[in-house]
Amino acid sequence: MKRTLRKLFSNVTSLIGILLLLFFVVIAIFAPVIAPPLSDDPYNTPRMSWDINPQPPGFPMSDNIRFIYDTMGKKVKWNKAIFGTEGGGYDIFYALVWGTRTAFKIGIITVASSMLIGLFIGSISAYFGGWVDEVLMRITDIFLSFPFLVAAMVLTTILGKGLDKVMIALITFGWMGYARVIRGSILSAKEETYVMAAKALGIKDGRIIWRHLLPNTIFPVLVQGSMNIGSMVITAAALSFLGVGAPMGYADWGQMVSFARNWIIGAPGHAGQYWYTVFYPGIFIVLFVLAWNLIGDTLRDILDPRLRGEL
Amino acid sequence: MMAKKREKLLEVKGLKTYFFTENGVVKAVDGVDFDVYKGETLGLVGESGCGKSVTAFSIMRLLDYPGKTVGGRVVFEGENLLEKSEDGMRKIRGKDIAMIFQEPMTSLNPVFTIGYQISEALKIHLHMNDREAMAKSVELLKKVGIPIPEQRVHEYPHQLSGGMRQRAMIAMAMSCDPTLLIADEPTTALDVTIQAQILELMKALLQEFNASLIMITHDLGVIAEIANRVAVMYAGKIVEYSDINTIFHFPLHPYTFGLLTSIPRLDVELKRLDAIPGFVPDPLHFPKGCKFNPRCRFATDKCREEEPPLVKVEEGHLVRCWHVDRVKEEVKNGLLVGV
Repeated sequence: MKRTLRKLFSNVTSLIGILLLLFFVVIAIFAPVIAPPLSDDPYNTPRMSWDINPQPPGFPMSDNIRFIYDTMGKKVKWNKAIFGTEGGGYDIFYALVWGTRTAFKIGIITVASSMLIGLFIGSISAYFGGWVDEVLMRITDIFLSFPFLVAAMVLTTILGKGLDKVMIALITFGWMGYARVIRGSILSAKEETYVMAAKALGIKDGRIIWRHLLPNTIFPVLVQGSMNIGSMVITAAALSFLGVGAPMGYADWGQMVSFARNWIIGAPGHAGQYWYTVFYPGIFIVLFVLAWNLIGDTLRDILDPRLRGEL
Repeated sequence: MMAKKREKLLEVKGLKTYFFTENGVVKAVDGVDFDVYKGETLGLVGESGCGKSVTAFSIMRLLDYPGKTVGGRVVFEGENLLEKSEDGMRKIRGKDIAMIFQEPMTSLNPVFTIGYQISEALKIHLHMNDREAMAKSVELLKKVGIPIPEQRVHEYPHQLSGGMRQRAMIAMAMSCDPTLLIADEPTTALDVTIQAQILELMKALLQEFNASLIMITHDLGVIAEIANRVAVMYAGKIVEYSDINTIFHFPLHPYTFGLLTSIPRLDVELKRLDAIPGFVPDPLHFPKGCKFNPRCRFATDKCREEEPPLVKVEEGHLVRCWHVDRVKEEVKNGLLVGV
């Protein structure tokens, strides 16, 4: 464990990954300080104007919006869109900051849940073998045969709009990889004598799987999971971009890119005029995914004994 | 040396364990009978693949598909283990019957400390809490002769030497004070000096805990060291069964005879070491008649036709051979002198 941490910090690429991740963690934790919410639901991106066109960085809150806050008796803690606004006046800076929390939520919850499902199905399948294995693995195959993005999109459409629905869809079609990986590792690990020794000590099957087999086999799954956090965020962003993700105005990077769709090119004769609408959310998604991939890569290098050169 | 009390602890009768493979049924254990008395050590000897380990796993009911015990009885303290529920069996494993394995390197889980692994059985069977179990683990490690046990309990298997690990395995097996210990080649993976130490330790512990032992090995030296009685197995069957002195001085089965003459000896001048010719037969294609006949220099047509029964030659000495008299003659002629 100590060695793992030391290696994580001594390696340049992983250090970059860790620093990037730290950057996002800080933003997520201090979101209420960095961008104080103006309404009761902090994930509701405040609008700086009603204008259909995006507004450039530094755009101040328009008077009519200000008037609404005043009549509602709300204190306006800030009144400048420092990164500009999306079309419809949605503040980019605010959505970026609170979108970080959304990204973490999507990444960690979907990966953790699908990993749990995968571990459960994969380990039971491998440990008991026979027809249990056959049935569970054929179910896994069925789920694997759906194209991931399409399946997730269809399920989200059926379930309705909302981030929780997106996550349910991602979990439903995201656990099979973990099940396969853990099944493979347990199939080989269960032949070890210590498993037989544990059985000979009268230890229950569940405990053997949980206490004896999983600690010996879970690392490849953890590596896969850490790399998948990034791709889950990308997929969620893609779903938002396709319009089946988060509801209108929800602080979510994918939705910001989706909003920017009409403004990417800019007005005729002014190419890149609205660069800020796509640049900021885009760079955040890229860096977030990059952070997880760098960390996952290093974890794999450290934890895989074949790559470590010890086997 | 005979057992002090002739009280039966384990009775194995007609045990049959077959493996149902794609190529056919492998009769790994085919009608094995033996008894283990309280406080005694039974040696189970044979070449690799003769079914000794399968016998042990059948007693513990630890065989997985495709292996299946298809017949016989394993009566332990008056109960037939083969008829017990899986839950009932689990309560016996580790508590009343414990097992020691061949490879101390792989039979300990690499990710847990020694103390944790010894504690586990204590917590499950004796319902101890963490602290009690840890304290007992230290005590057990001390008992098996591990120096600085207070420190060793917190170490991982890779930090221990092979002999130490086997000691830790023994501590684990003895943790719940079992009445029967099954040791599956416990010294095979160790070097000779450590082997002797481990055998001494096991003897001492058996005495202290008043436990019985089934010692599975291919090493007759180990048997001579520790066993009271010996069952020699060949191709899934017991071919000779008697007390330790008889086996070494008056073996009556050609196979046992062959095993004994193939041990290098210091006191007899020999040009070339005797070896039993041929190999253990393929369990899918056992020869007709006596399974040892292709390798046996006493073999006659009768041996090739009909399998001999296990017959009592004298009290406590059973042999499965048609030609006991001829073997006896040769033993008498001094080809085999005392060990």
